[in-house]
Amino acid sequence: MLKLINISKNYNPGSVNEICLFQNFNFTVEDGAFVSVVGSNGSGKTSMLNLICGSIGTDYGSIMVNNEDITRQKGYIRHRRIGRVYQDPAKGTCPSMTILENMSLADNKGKPFHLGRGVSKGKIEDYKVLLRSLNLGLEDKMNIQVGSLSGGQRQALALLMASMTPIDFLILDEHTAALDPKTAERIMELTEYIVSEKHITTIMVTHNLRYAVEYGSRLVMMHEGKIILDESGEKKKLIQTGEIMDLFNKISVECGN
Amino acid sequence: MALLLSVLEQGMIYGILALGVYITYKILDFPDLTVDGSFPFGAALSVRMIGEWGLPAVLTLPAAFFGGVLVGMCTGIIHVKLKVRDLLSGIVMMTGLYTINLWVAGTGYVPIFNKETIFDNEMVNSIVPSYLFQFKNVVIIFLITMAAKYLLDWYLRTKSGFLLRAVGDNDTLVTSLGVDKGLVKIVGLSIANGLVSLSGCLYAQQQRSFEISIGTGAVAIGLASVIIGTSLLRKITLIRVTSSVIIGSIIYKACIALAMYAGVSANAIKLITAVLFLIILVIGMDKKRR
Amino acid sequence: MLLLSGIEMEEEKKDMIKKVSVLMMVVITMVMILAGCGSKEGYSIGISQFAVHGSLDNCREGFLAGLAEEGFVEGDNLTIEYVNAQADAGTAALTASNFVTKKVDLICAIATPSASTAYNATMNTNIPVVYTAVTDPVAAGLANEDKTSVGNVTGTSDVLAVEEQLGMIRRILPDAEKIGIIYNTSEANSVSAIADYKEKAGAYGFEIVESGVTAMSEVSLAAADLVNKVDCITNLTDNTVVSALQTVLDEANKKNIPVFGSEVEQVRAGCVASMGLEYYELGKQTGKMAAKILKGEVQASALEFEIITEPSLYVNTAAAEKIGLILADSFVENAYECFDEIVVE
Repeated sequence: MLKLINISKNYNPGSVNEICLFQNFNFTVEDGAFVSVVGSNGSGKTSMLNLICGSIGTDYGSIMVNNEDITRQKGYIRHRRIGRVYQDPAKGTCPSMTILENMSLADNKGKPFHLGRGVSKGKIEDYKVLLRSLNLGLEDKMNIQVGSLSGGQRQALALLMASMTPIDFLILDEHTAALDPKTAERIMELTEYIVSEKHITTIMVTHNLRYAVEYGSRLVMMHEGKIILDESGEKKKLIQTGEIMDLFNKISVECGN
Repeated sequence: MALLLSVLEQGMIYGILALGVYITYKILDFPDLTVDGSFPFGAALSVRMIGEWGLPAVLTLPAAFFGGVLVGMCTGIIHVKLKVRDLLSGIVMMTGLYTINLWVAGTGYVPIFNKETIFDNEMVNSIVPSYLFQFKNVVIIFLITMAAKYLLDWYLRTKSGFLLRAVGDNDTLVTSLGVDKGLVKIVGLSIANGLVSLSGCLYAQQQRSFEISIGTGAVAIGLASVIIGTSLLRKITLIRVTSSVIIGSIIYKACIALAMYAGVSANAIKLITAVLFLIILVIGMDKKRR
Repeated sequence: MLLLSGIEMEEEKKDMIKKVSVLMMVVITMVMILAGCGSKEGYSIGISQFAVHGSLDNCREGFLAGLAEEGFVEGDNLTIEYVNAQADAGTAALTASNFVTKKVDLICAIATPSASTAYNATMNTNIPVVYTAVTDPVAAGLANEDKTSVGNVTGTSDVLAVEEQLGMIRRILPDAEKIGIIYNTSEANSVSAIADYKEKAGAYGFEIVESGVTAMSEVSLAAADLVNKVDCITNLTDNTVVSALQTVLDEANKKNIPVFGSEVEQVRAGCVASMGLEYYELGKQTGKMAAKILKGEVQASALEFEIITEPSLYVNTAAAEKIGLILADSFVENAYECFDEIVVE
């Protein structure tokens, strides 16, 4: 379970360029939930993800994971129990290494990277099985450099790599935004499949309102660092894309966008 | 024959340097100028050990390597912890090392003509028959170079080595894997400068002297070797990258030696090197830009 | 379709070029192996000179003259290959290695870095090395403390006449207290010369103020700084500083401070005076040693290195005039050679 408690964060405090990101922001995610987060640019969605992952720190407040205070924990240490997929397919994989090598790397997350063999021969079959579930034919290309794969294939691989080891959360940062509609659809199906198979608590930031409505058990809309809509369970299932769109436009107009 | 042997000896010694430059330049994507300082550092340390301290020559190899590792660690710490840009960290180290190398060696020129070196000592001289003496150097250098190469190849296939390869390509991924990317960079810089320093140690013993200016331009020679090797030999899949880098170094030295043999003036050699470099870069241009 | 095949052709062409280049390398290697074989008429000498400046050039000319006097004339029975390393140690090493490949009969090395690289390259061969303008052959590892040779190497040393120079400066500047010396910290010959000067300066009532540089580009700043602190400057046989002599002279002239050279070329170029060596004579002496070795009369290993024992006084009255320094007539008359104009090449 994730809890963000009374988070406050300002950029450039005390100067002319001071931006208030969050003020007494609270957010809780229950285990097993699949939360979709939407909002306009600058609403704080990505900043919230960065706060959770440790890329930016808080000024005040705390972050608790399963009742453990991780506010002061360094970014890379938090990532041991987090899987993160970025918008840019290039960020989730290593282009100069092969698919097999990438998967071996991801498989070692959370464990020490010492002088043992990079690729465990015994695990190759396991990786093949995992790749087969993607239905992209990648299991036959395990020795090909990732750099030569298409954006969609790389993102699928990134998703797989992020969820290979046991993790507390899966953080999806607009992970379909850079893909064409058909590939985006595939990746969302894949996401749904992986999340339900492994029961991973997921937070997905997206600009695609339809995905936010169709996928996940909870819908959150953010605006200027605050949550203005938070529906889950039965109520969430009843929401239509059109409603969200209207709310979205209403806020945008208020801001003068 | 003497020319060929000289080219092979120099080519392989600088080949080890090229391996170090390969790690920082190609794998870590970090242009490391520390090399101009760590190459003479290994040389200075080895002449001090052999000359003034009178230690057995074989100890200079691990000493130079671990000395270089320390040097690389300093560069890494300056870059990672003090957040100094890659090029500048190298320049800071290179400058400081000038003084340090003078201290370590004693003065700017230290001859060790009549001391035992790794090539010329009781054990080696007793094993090798005197009519094969002219091949002593090249064989020993070959063995050391191959050892360095195979160790590096092995390392790049370990988990730690994978991280090294990842950090130059996509350091975000390294953080996503739960690893401190700064630490990985420091490790990479350490290993690279360890190799460079080892190369300097061999050079000093082959030249039987230390001269403070041998570091100037070392990184350029290393880069030239790396680029020549990787560009020309890329399509030949039988050859591993590490081997191609060493071969590149030998080719580079061969071209220079040949130019000099053909009577080209020493001044013109640098310009010719630049032109040669350019031709090779264009021929082997990397089309796969990410 | 056409475009695709066009690109394919490009790739094929590039592949061909690569294969050809690799093949070329192999051929070149073969050529190198065969390079060692060959014969020539008469004797061949490789001259490896470290840098371009007057003293070293004089050495070389003297060397050739000394050889000629003993019957080895260039063009007749002697071929000379002369390579100047332009103050780069790597080039000096390459040059020496090159000479060994060409199997020259003797290597003449001018200045310490050339001498040590030549000695290293010839260690496992029969080629003798005769050096000149090496200030401290013992420190360079080319000779033992008792002057005997360490191997197939011998030559002449241009050790500085420190006592005589100090005495001369005292005569010219009776009231001077501080002598400045600029030197390259990485030239071993300079480091030992500085120590020598410091040891002996006290007896003449002088204090030595040293200024170390690491490259020729730093000499200008060092000189500009030093001239404010001293009464005069004296030179060592430091290759870096001597190559940048004009810079030192410019700065010193601004403050009307005399610069004393270490040999005749420097005086000719504008130094006020010097108790120096005649590098031409030194070279000649070297040439004669080389001739003996070539004739087979003696091995290089059997010859002790030689020095010139009597320094000579050189004076440049024009230089003195320029800074308003008056030299006593009796002093000038005693000079071995007196220049009345400044010759800048």
